[in-house]
Amino acid sequence: MKPYLALACALLFFTPALFAADEDYVPGPEAMVKEGVPRGKISQHQWTSQVFEGTERDYWVYVPAQYDGSKPACVLVCFDGGGFVKEDGSFRAPVVLDNLIHAGDMPVTIGIFVNPGVVPPAKEGQEARKNRSFEYDTLSDQNARFLIEELLPEVGKSYKLSTNPDCRAVCGNSSGGIAAFTVAWERPDAFRKVISHIGSFTNIRGGHVYPALIRKTEPKPLRVFLQEGENDLDNLHGNWPLANREMEAALKFAKYDHQLVMGTGKHSGRHGGAIFPETLRWIWRDWKTLQP
Amino acid sequence: MNRTLFTSLLASTLIVSAPAQDMALSQIFPEDSAWELVVEGYEFTDGLTSDAAGNLYFSDVKGGTAVYRVDLEGKSSEYIPNAPGISGLKWGADGKLYACVSKEQRVVVFDKDKAVTELAKEVRPNDLVVTRDGNLYFTMTPTSEIRRIDPAGKMTVVSSGVVGKPNGISLSRDQGTLAVSDHGGKFVWVFRIEPDGTLAHPGNYMTLVTPAETPEVGKGDGMTTDVHGRYYVTSAEGLQIFDPTGRLCGVLPAPDSKLPIVSCCFAGPGHAWLYVGNGGKIWRRKTTSAGALGFEEPKANEVVPK
Repeated sequence: MKPYLALACALLFFTPALFAADEDYVPGPEAMVKEGVPRGKISQHQWTSQVFEGTERDYWVYVPAQYDGSKPACVLVCFDGGGFVKEDGSFRAPVVLDNLIHAGDMPVTIGIFVNPGVVPPAKEGQEARKNRSFEYDTLSDQNARFLIEELLPEVGKSYKLSTNPDCRAVCGNSSGGIAAFTVAWERPDAFRKVISHIGSFTNIRGGHVYPALIRKTEPKPLRVFLQEGENDLDNLHGNWPLANREMEAALKFAKYDHQLVMGTGKHSGRHGGAIFPETLRWIWRDWKTLQP
Repeated sequence: MNRTLFTSLLASTLIVSAPAQDMALSQIFPEDSAWELVVEGYEFTDGLTSDAAGNLYFSDVKGGTAVYRVDLEGKSSEYIPNAPGISGLKWGADGKLYACVSKEQRVVVFDKDKAVTELAKEVRPNDLVVTRDGNLYFTMTPTSEIRRIDPAGKMTVVSSGVVGKPNGISLSRDQGTLAVSDHGGKFVWVFRIEPDGTLAHPGNYMTLVTPAETPEVGKGDGMTTDVHGRYYVTSAEGLQIFDPTGRLCGVLPAPDSKLPIVSCCFAGPGHAWLYVGNGGKIWRRKTTSAGALGFEEPKANEVVPK
């Protein structure tokens, strides 16, 4: 057999294993309700914003069973929050938090799952103005201010939230992923833990410049987790796998505490969801040393 | 979680999970699409607009004396004589042609017999839209105002000081949103049109690509909208196209980049041709889209076929 034929045969043989389909990423056992694990409470709310003037949105608050109000809880904000709390979704965040907090793998954490805003239509039959791209893809402190000035104080009326930025994480998928990074980049005094799945570090609204900014800006005290897939988007805004590799290289160059998990998935939350418990363990790995 | 909460949770998730379409320039312009010259020999073409049939109307704001017309066969003619100094034109659902006569500082309307009626005087109008229900909105670039003339003829200021140099103006296809370009800044602003015709909730929804030498000034100018909800904005850098969620699709340099490009509209057969005023010339280009026209019944955006 000629060497190249042997190589071709080997490639054919290994192809199914090398290229796991997006659908092969499924929620693991820690995303399932377990007997004996106390379940947190989820409540749904609406918010009308001043920072994003005229917008309305839903958000959900997860309070773990272990929270007793005696001391502040850590905070996890997830953008496109509706997808994270969906019971049959890729993330099933409330169940994952139940299991990880119970196991001692992460601190007692209040989850704030917030949707992007819409300006609702004034008349029946008209379309809402979708504010998601404006809020998530824009490089500015506006979305951070929305969290810090509006949403956290509102949730803070009912629960004690940690003010230690190392105890506050922000997470999202796609444009929500770059949004999570932007919040911490703009306000490291308020958030220092970032989880980005299939993050849009591309030129939707200029976000492709982050690798360059990271390299030439005095490093910020952030911990950044990136998940990305080889089969993610390549479109007018950019190439997602390349953009995330650029982010990884820049974070490495500037000596950030970071990790990129590169899979074979597409532009979906499946891979990020499948590894979400492991991701949370990594982001909170030293939580016992922190003072919420 | 109770059943009602779960149902509403699903419903709200559905709203946000519908992804915005990625709208590359290649989706709008077929491969063989190129600029073709429509008319030339004018000084400063402006006010490009179309009627229901697809005939093009325009002005020559500096050197012209008339409203001009290019019919579907490409034949150009003087449509309304003795009408100099017009910077904005739009047809109303009433079959009348509304105009910003910037030179005379007034807003007027031409009826079917081309007789003129004054709607506002001592104003500084630049460009306008007319909604299906007969509300006229016009920009006042020097005073940072957007004004409205309601169907009864009453004029009010509906925005002041929000857009620095409001210039181009366009409606969403459902006529629930008014978009206004800033000639002195880098944003295209959107407003919600309230049931009473006032404007609410301004947002700097679209960011223009700006020249390297003036990063904060994009010179946003004449605008139009297509049936898929894209906004087209003329600017210092050329014609900029945005998707309905405000994301830039791309930029087309002006056909003649040495001359200003200040006005655009869809016209021609099926309103499928994109026309731009570029100095003394007008150019057009075939698209796979079509214009959303203010005098038509408001509709939801069409989804771009895969």
